[in-house]
Amino acid sequence: MFKIKMADAKLLRDMVTAISILVDEATFKIDQKGLKLRAMDPSRVAMVDFEWPKTVFDEYTTTEPTKMCINISEMLKLLKRAGKDEVVELSLDEKTGKLQIKITGKYARNFTMPTLEASEEEVPTPKITFNVKAKATTQGLSQAIEDAQLVSDHVRIEADNEKLVLNAAGDLMGATITLQKGSDALLDLEAKEPSKATFSLSYLSEIIKEASATSDIATLEFSTDMPIKLDFQQAKEGKLTFYLAPRIETE
Amino acid sequence: MRVIADLHIHGRYSRATSDKMCVEEIARFAKIKGLNLVGTGDFTHPKWLKELQETLVQEADTGLYKVAKNPESPVYFMITTEVSTVFTFENEVKKIHHVILTPNIETAIQINDRLAKYGNLAIDGRPTLNMDAPHLVEDVMEVSSENMIFPAHAWTPWFSIFGAFSGFNSIEECYQDMTKHIHALETGLSSDPPMNWRLSKLDKFALVSNSDSHSFWPWRLGREANVFELKEPSYYEILDAIRFKDKARFKFTIETDPAYGKYHWTGHRNCHVSFPAVEAIKIGNICPVCRKKLTKGVEQRLEELADRPPGFKPSDAIDFMHLLPLSEIIATVLGVDSPSTQQVWNIYNAFVEKFGDEYAVLIDVSKEDLRSVNEKIADTIIKVRDGQIKVLPGYNGVYGQLILSEEQIAQKSKVQRVQQLNLTDFL
Repeated sequence: MFKIKMADAKLLRDMVTAISILVDEATFKIDQKGLKLRAMDPSRVAMVDFEWPKTVFDEYTTTEPTKMCINISEMLKLLKRAGKDEVVELSLDEKTGKLQIKITGKYARNFTMPTLEASEEEVPTPKITFNVKAKATTQGLSQAIEDAQLVSDHVRIEADNEKLVLNAAGDLMGATITLQKGSDALLDLEAKEPSKATFSLSYLSEIIKEASATSDIATLEFSTDMPIKLDFQQAKEGKLTFYLAPRIETE
Repeated sequence: MRVIADLHIHGRYSRATSDKMCVEEIARFAKIKGLNLVGTGDFTHPKWLKELQETLVQEADTGLYKVAKNPESPVYFMITTEVSTVFTFENEVKKIHHVILTPNIETAIQINDRLAKYGNLAIDGRPTLNMDAPHLVEDVMEVSSENMIFPAHAWTPWFSIFGAFSGFNSIEECYQDMTKHIHALETGLSSDPPMNWRLSKLDKFALVSNSDSHSFWPWRLGREANVFELKEPSYYEILDAIRFKDKARFKFTIETDPAYGKYHWTGHRNCHVSFPAVEAIKIGNICPVCRKKLTKGVEQRLEELADRPPGFKPSDAIDFMHLLPLSEIIATVLGVDSPSTQQVWNIYNAFVEKFGDEYAVLIDVSKEDLRSVNEKIADTIIKVRDGQIKVLPGYNGVYGQLILSEEQIAQKSKVQRVQQLNLTDFL
């Protein structure tokens, strides 16, 4: 048995949207402590690591640890029907294997959707020693990424103890975006050693855009030519972290 | 005599074909290439058929034609066409191309009378017909049992019998009870016989190779072909040799390296990324740049259907030879982008004038003799002949590129200078 209730449907919708960037079918682990999901996208270039403790919910009931796999884009279609300040309840009917989604506000809606066969794959997080840790506003990051996207499909992120620099080079045009430590956009920066790594802008932009709806502050950690970790600080408790594999410049 | 035949080309009424693609010009360049038999292509098109009737003259008892104004030319023509069938099979739309061979213009007219019911034959040299593959075969074979039909470029992602996007998993699934009339399949530029030998279910079919050329330039016309040993050029002899996979008469096929084809690897043209099958599977066939599904290449599609390991050769297989167009070889050695530059033509003409035609240069002439024209190019021709060259594989509509040195790999793969890694490398 599994049942949760959230007074603010938007919070759930934003989180599901952020997860949907990478996965079509999501297997959630559900136990007495809360809800978890860790999955890689089909190309295995990026990973999402998500946790919501039961305290995030207004009601949280589960009898035994279980897994639930759902089609995220289908679920999003239903959650998008929820307006501001509407209440959402999810419950799993174990007999039928269907998930019930109840949205209550000006009127009540009850949707059902099938659950899918849960993935048995246990995905570990990447084992990396990060040399740079930067804390930035998600708004500042979003704008920097939008700037870079004007000229290229990939960006090199470089950092020392003073600044974080995004370098984008296209066939014809280039862009350099500098975030100084202590500025409005870059709240903190620690670099054990100067580091740089290149990443796909299509992944970065979508991750930052959608995760920004759940968070105002993001912590970036990376090392030279290693995956980047983007941790989006949650207003309530919980974790929303993404890992993105680098691109290697062969020239 | 040796008959080198390219049985699938297009006339000037096909889309993306030069207006100069007329019978006389095709014959002129076929002779330079060393082809002595060319398919007319497009007999289904009324205007092209009229041109064929006006410019060709039948050679008695051969089922073949010659250019009326130039009967001394060694080049024969076979009446051929390619059609596209569009039909629904098990709720999926299938778009399959087929090549049709017929022994004379009269039978071609009878085929056209039947096919005109299923589509407008005048719109394109390769007409689109709203009929399924079995009915096409039935109609063609009812006109004459001496007609031949086979699937065109069998592996290209779009419009082919095994294509990744709208294809079937077997010849029988496509042609149903009419499979009894199918004796061959065209391997296309992106696959070669060793790749096809990995499917035991294809053993009974002869593998034929043609250029599907839309121009007469020698880097297109005859880039793939079939080599027969016959008493004299004859439609019926060729038909028989293909039907019975007769190794005494059907000697070998001329194949470009399959990597040279436009759809060998999986990739995205606009994103400048390409992958061999193993890599593409590893990243879930998702483009690391735009994150949409990659265009599956022939190598990967073939891997899905293969039931034998690489290297298997059926005992009755027709032999093959890997070649590349001489113009491409010269352009690569000179380091120029296009095979059509005057510099390339000058060297090309010097070889052809000395040795008769391009195939003689590519297949027969000794290294020493070739070196008397141009040493560097002669050495590369021999490397191609001996299979000692590398080709940067084609993908998603981009032709493969001949590589002569490690520096060229770096230069020609410049577009792929940023390589996406995988998170599994760090777990």
